[in-house]
Amino acid sequence: MGQNSAAVYAQAIQTALQLVVTPTPVYASFNRNFASEPTFLTWTLRNVHQPVYTGAQSNKGIDRPVCQTNVYAQTMATCFAQAQLVLDALHGYQGLLGGLFFVAKIDVEWLFNTFDNDNKLHQIVLDMTFDIPS
Amino acid sequence: MALPNKVLPGFVASLYMQPGAAPTPVATEVLLATYATVSAFVVDGNLLQVEAIPAFGQEDAMANFSVAGSRQSDKIPVQSAPFSLSFIHAWNPTNANLLLVRGDAYSGLIDRTYVIAFVEGANTVLFAFNARASQFSIDPAPGAEAQCTFTLHPRGNLFGWSNNA
Repeated sequence: MGQNSAAVYAQAIQTALQLVVTPTPVYASFNRNFASEPTFLTWTLRNVHQPVYTGAQSNKGIDRPVCQTNVYAQTMATCFAQAQLVLDALHGYQGLLGGLFFVAKIDVEWLFNTFDNDNKLHQIVLDMTFDIPS
Repeated sequence: MALPNKVLPGFVASLYMQPGAAPTPVATEVLLATYATVSAFVVDGNLLQVEAIPAFGQEDAMANFSVAGSRQSDKIPVQSAPFSLSFIHAWNPTNANLLLVRGDAYSGLIDRTYVIAFVEGANTVLFAFNARASQFSIDPAPGAEAQCTFTLHPRGNLFGWSNNA
């Protein structure tokens, strides 16, 4: 029950999302250099945390990080369709995420849709909670 | 080496168990006096990765004496047994030590020595007791880790403090 690698999480998320929405590009949202395509996804990994228990450093619980995924598209219909692809493929998913680590369950929560007036892009925000055994 | 000389957070406490499917628990006087014997159990292979160590120590034990029709009464403390301790452990179906505890609970007859260790650097203080396991249950609520809960009931009024000072 050691510490899981957040870097591996990130690689797996990138691979898994890319598989779901291909050929739409997928980016980790470390910067804003993505905004040239008509449709694209970004994701942000947050709340990586295994609870620590008493005694040895390795005594940790399961991880339930959240991967916030933003779907951007110039047309509303495309935006909804892309978000629906993610929802269909990953809500309740169990398996080897991105071929890298076992996820017991993914819980996708469709938060809201909105419009980014600066970039003229429709946007849908999804929160995906991963249950990752330790 | 010395006794830990700090106020310790509860996180430093660990639970270790005597290994083996058919253990012979350590005798009373050894629990009390011999650090070397009980500290032999304090190795990684005997660790039970419980979430937290509950309050442990002695129960209150007292005979309340009174005579009907008299103003005279008395409370007479007697030697008190250690608490029963309930632990929560993440349920890993192949954890060898957890399987031993499950087997003990299933048997209901196996006495085993357990050690709670407080370690500060090279300094260690141990609380050892002999107990039987009981009330072994697993809670598989979704959205959280599957947890098993078990209770250790100390036996024979036995427990002992020791340290490596």
